[in-house]
Amino acid sequence: MTAKPSSYRFRRALFILGFTLPTFLLFSLITAYPMLRGLYISFFEWSGYSGSMSFIGLDNYKRLLKDNIIGTAIYNDYFLVFWKVVLILAIATFLAVALTRMNLKRTGLFRVVLFFPNLISVVVIGVLWRYIYNPSDIGFLNAFLSLFAGDPVKTVWLGQENTAMWSILAPAVWAGIGFYMILLMAAIMNIPESFYEAAGIDGASRWHQFKHITIPLIWEQMKVSIIHIVITTLNGSFIIIFLMTEGGPDNSTQVMGSYLYQIGFQQYHMGYASAIGALILILTLVTSLILNRLLKRETIQM
Amino acid sequence: MKTWRNRNKSVFVALILALTFSLLAACSGADTEQPANTGSNTGSANSDSGENNGGSGNSDEGLTGEFEIQYFVGGYGDTWWKHVISEFQKANPKLKITQTAGSQINEQMRPRWIQGTPPDFVYIDGAGSNEAQMVADAQLMDLTDFLKGATNADGKKLLDIAIGQPTDYGGKLYTMPLVFGSWGTFYDKAWFAENGWETPTDFESFMAVSEKIKASGVSPYIHTGVYPYYINGGLVNSAIVAENGGDASIISRMAALEEGVFKSEPVMKALGKIVQMRDAGLIDPGSIALNHTDSQMAFLQHKAAFIPNGLWLENEMSKDIPEGFEFDFVPSVMQDKGEKYVAIPYTASVAIAEKAKNPEAAKAFLQFIFTEKFAVDWAEMTGAIMNVKADLESSSAGPVVKSAMSYFNSDQLVVAPALIVNADVEQALQDGIIALLDSRITPEEWGDRLEEAAAKAR
Repeated sequence: MTAKPSSYRFRRALFILGFTLPTFLLFSLITAYPMLRGLYISFFEWSGYSGSMSFIGLDNYKRLLKDNIIGTAIYNDYFLVFWKVVLILAIATFLAVALTRMNLKRTGLFRVVLFFPNLISVVVIGVLWRYIYNPSDIGFLNAFLSLFAGDPVKTVWLGQENTAMWSILAPAVWAGIGFYMILLMAAIMNIPESFYEAAGIDGASRWHQFKHITIPLIWEQMKVSIIHIVITTLNGSFIIIFLMTEGGPDNSTQVMGSYLYQIGFQQYHMGYASAIGALILILTLVTSLILNRLLKRETIQM
Repeated sequence: MKTWRNRNKSVFVALILALTFSLLAACSGADTEQPANTGSNTGSANSDSGENNGGSGNSDEGLTGEFEIQYFVGGYGDTWWKHVISEFQKANPKLKITQTAGSQINEQMRPRWIQGTPPDFVYIDGAGSNEAQMVADAQLMDLTDFLKGATNADGKKLLDIAIGQPTDYGGKLYTMPLVFGSWGTFYDKAWFAENGWETPTDFESFMAVSEKIKASGVSPYIHTGVYPYYINGGLVNSAIVAENGGDASIISRMAALEEGVFKSEPVMKALGKIVQMRDAGLIDPGSIALNHTDSQMAFLQHKAAFIPNGLWLENEMSKDIPEGFEFDFVPSVMQDKGEKYVAIPYTASVAIAEKAKNPEAAKAFLQFIFTEKFAVDWAEMTGAIMNVKADLESSSAGPVVKSAMSYFNSDQLVVAPALIVNADVEQALQDGIIALLDSRITPEEWGDRLEEAAAKAR
């Protein structure tokens, strides 16, 4: 087999180009360009409304270091990341196992019910949960707790420093479980039944089966889930914060995304907002790289 | 097998089609968000588009050239705008008027302001608009000399008939307030009468009646903690003016970020009164987590007696007002006995772009709309007050608006300028009051915060 005719090579190159070029162009246009443009703006003092921008070098980044609210925001972001990963994964895994391995009836119904929050718009979730937390007696949570306490409960869930972030965590977890549950269910259903049968004959308890068969075989999916939760939380918590508290009271529930919005669109410092954007990008990258390293386990083939 | 494969293929094609259509639908959805260019152009534009001389036409033919108006459409609707623009068109048949309007207009027009091709005339209102920022960005034309001499069609000076004066930006005027409203303390008149609670006329009577309300098991005072500018407008700022002996110039000094003004005696005394209210337990502790819908619903359901709000409140909640509820308002409750009421206004202004292509037409339009006739039209079409001293008694405006107008015309009331400050200082004002109400900081710490924010913004 000597050299193929050049028309073949050309066609092959054309074929590859035909797939890669449009993708590359789209990527450049809608991902790379805005990102680089954002980085570029972060070196300027710009209101976002003015025709003129002035170059100020690293001043926006220096300001990040001195800004107390940035500290609060990073802390709140990682608070949400940590608890969302722990709670969503624990609950989603439990439910996935329960719905696949425990011979329950009506699993279809449960699946739909538990997946339902994923189908509701976040805006609706925000409004719904604001009602739950309402401090007066319209609020479901306080009304419910009042049934057990002697006096009417009047906790201001979203207004106190020690309860606000936990109160925001609850809907975030509630709305997140369904998707990861489905993901893990699919993984569990891929495990051949014979593994469990063999383990059962060998006398392994359900807990041992879960620990030594299920977990190792769905580890890849769990890893993906963790990284996905981390990335979406660092980038997307903005929405739930804005719907629930707008970062208040007195900036105590601010996350990086909501603070970016406030600085850029309410206080008119687009340059500084872009610097916050760069910070989010860097922290997301570093966190997912570290997690990837930490979660590395030998992939177990079936 | 073959039929199965064919069916598979057709399913695939159907999917592709569905995707394409959903994309198209998304695009067309975006199209409807585009600025509505509903130019009411009456035909004559073609004939003289060549001889556009900047629009300084004589009185017979009116203005010529092109003229673009940007206005935000929100709670006040666009009826009034369409009405005045069509009147202006009738007066100037050769002018080609373009209206650029909508609820998202500030975001949609932002690129044009950045690129330096803004519309000629702009009504600054709604999300994404900020008058002080536009001035800081040198987007607006200096109207100092023009406004001082400008008269309307009735020959009256614009500044004489205005209720609220334009904001002073270091001795210069860039804007003219079009909408004039007042913050204040609202209550249900009927409910108060039923319980024998008196309408407060000063701080002393306010505290007394609040204690009485509290004793009956109702929260005396609720506010919108998620948006602290409600309590700033309805309570704090009027307290500051009252503590300054009713001299409203302190508001201008705050807006100008004068050094030390946020730690001055009147401000500290005003915050002292707020602390007094807070420590007496008169402010509903749940307020801090409430947005405007939550707090206003609680107010309408008689969970609280007073609420700081703006004159739009009755209109905004019109669908939810319970039977027998009778809105009334006091401009301020923080003045000492025998002192005058203080009205803290909120305004939405009109202005002319620094880079306007047809400034003559824009100035003419500004003079054209500031008449008593159009002010009555405004009150009837929007339920709000235009910034012109007009007689509304015979108009079909609502009772709260009429009651407000009678306060404005009374000599027992000081009308302060609207507090329009740098956005960073505004944020600090909002964060600060919440921190103070939540006992996280003292009035002195409030002063430190504000002085620091002001120093940075100066």
